[in-house]
Amino acid sequence: MRRVAIVGGGATRCGKREATWRELVQEAGKAMFEDVDNISPKEVDALLVGAAQPERFVFQVHVAPMVAEHLGITPRKVIATTELMCASGQAAIRYAWACIASGMADMAVAFGVEKMYMPDMAEAQTNMTCVLDREWDGINGLSAPPFFAMTAQRHMYEYGTTKEQMALVSVKNHHYSTMNPIAQFQKEVPVESVFKSPMIAPPLNLFDCSGITDGAAGVVLVPADRAKEYTDTPMYIIGSGQANIGNAINNLASITEWIPLKLAVEETLKTAKITLKEIDIAELHDCFTISEIMEYEAFGWAKKGEGGKFIENGEPYIGGTIAANPRGGLLGCGHPLGATAILQTLDILHQFRGDVPKGRSVSDAEIAVTHNLSGAANVHSILAYSRTEK
Amino acid sequence: MKKVEFEKLKRPETIKLPSMLDFYPLEDEKNTRISPFFSNLKERRLTTTRCEECGKVLWPPRIVCSSCFSDDLEWIDLGTEGELYAFTEMRLGAPLGFVDDVPFCIGIVKIGGLSISARIDNAKYEDLKIGQKVQLKVVELDDGRVFYRFDAAKETP
Ligand SMILES: [Zn+2]
Repeated sequence: MRRVAIVGGGATRCGKREATWRELVQEAGKAMFEDVDNISPKEVDALLVGAAQPERFVFQVHVAPMVAEHLGITPRKVIATTELMCASGQAAIRYAWACIASGMADMAVAFGVEKMYMPDMAEAQTNMTCVLDREWDGINGLSAPPFFAMTAQRHMYEYGTTKEQMALVSVKNHHYSTMNPIAQFQKEVPVESVFKSPMIAPPLNLFDCSGITDGAAGVVLVPADRAKEYTDTPMYIIGSGQANIGNAINNLASITEWIPLKLAVEETLKTAKITLKEIDIAELHDCFTISEIMEYEAFGWAKKGEGGKFIENGEPYIGGTIAANPRGGLLGCGHPLGATAILQTLDILHQFRGDVPKGRSVSDAEIAVTHNLSGAANVHSILAYSRTEK
Repeated sequence: MKKVEFEKLKRPETIKLPSMLDFYPLEDEKNTRISPFFSNLKERRLTTTRCEECGKVLWPPRIVCSSCFSDDLEWIDLGTEGELYAFTEMRLGAPLGFVDDVPFCIGIVKIGGLSISARIDNAKYEDLKIGQKVQLKVVELDDGRVFYRFDAAKETP
């Protein structure tokens, strides 16, 4: 297996954009290619496009060739769309990585894009209801917010987690996103604002939930031994973990303990040959405030049930036990489904380059992970990155 | 030079709700091999499949056991009284076809050894409690298709 490096990438500004799906693709594609030296789109022989629901949000399938057409890419080895709902972008990176590692391709683009704003937002909400098992869970009105609301309710019931502790996750991530020019949300959100924001599904208020977001991003992968041809500052993929248990509500391993995440963390540490303590930055999938609290626990930074206290003590801030979501997270940056994992990865690259504003810069960061969950938190996916070749 | 035509077109004001967007599955034996689930429901019975070979109770109902791949499955009753494990109330962001129902309660109900998601009728979020009993209820669409819900109202003596 060949070692693989990411040599650059680019992204759109995220939010409610006055731009179509294909315009988002063009914006991010231009930014991506302009970020990499000595690159021609014709060199790209593998293209993987993370797109969660283009067939519902923009009524278009077979979207990978559409991305290729707009970016002047003519893949000769591998081309496909990768769908894993909220982790679709990470699926694209994983397959692009496998293409390069196996020798199947020599330059791969992992792209991600989602256009989620629709003239009728009830139609957008409808799309989100086929994420769980539509015929047996979705039919009950069960989309992500009510599912994570019940997860939060059980976590509060079993461990005494409070609404205020959950709100503190939103406070932290919105704080960091004020220093991220491409983030959807650019304002500080104090605890009172979380409490005053409209109730979506109790105990979750609007600011406990990540947004509906338009956005796109792409990164370029090459064999590690060729990385310096394209940039002075590549980063290296050093490990990963991914696990799934169940799909429908009844078949989950647990609702208050994310066992697939624990398995994915174990696998990541093993394959990357690192310890938890060596991780400097974690881009966690904070689709809801309760998610990030449960992730502190599953990764092992906090004991089971003590994720709430962990944020209360400021441990997931830069300078604490772990710098969690210094990008601004999904809560602050928005969550353009297929693009999210690419945006996380791109921000790690910028952190390693020392290219982010001081207030959210993690100095001397060497090792980072990006994490995504998808569905009813039944799949967890993690990638580990290193600033230097290990 | 010929004049460029400019013609106004009309689209239909309303269209019939496409069948895949009304969320309710196609239930009869022409469309699914688990149609007994729905005919049982019409008789006010909540049932699912159990593997005759290995004994595993499967939800949602199946035609092949996911544990041993036997297709020798039998229908069993799950009962009519469940216990509320978790619940919430959809207040904003309901999908098409559910918007008129807002606010409505959704829960995870423990019944017959399973934990299944369901609409909880006759309930306000503030009045519900983890662990409380809920009663099976059947709803029927005007085209005859049925689905299960649970009712939180206390029995009147
Ligand atoms: Zn069996």
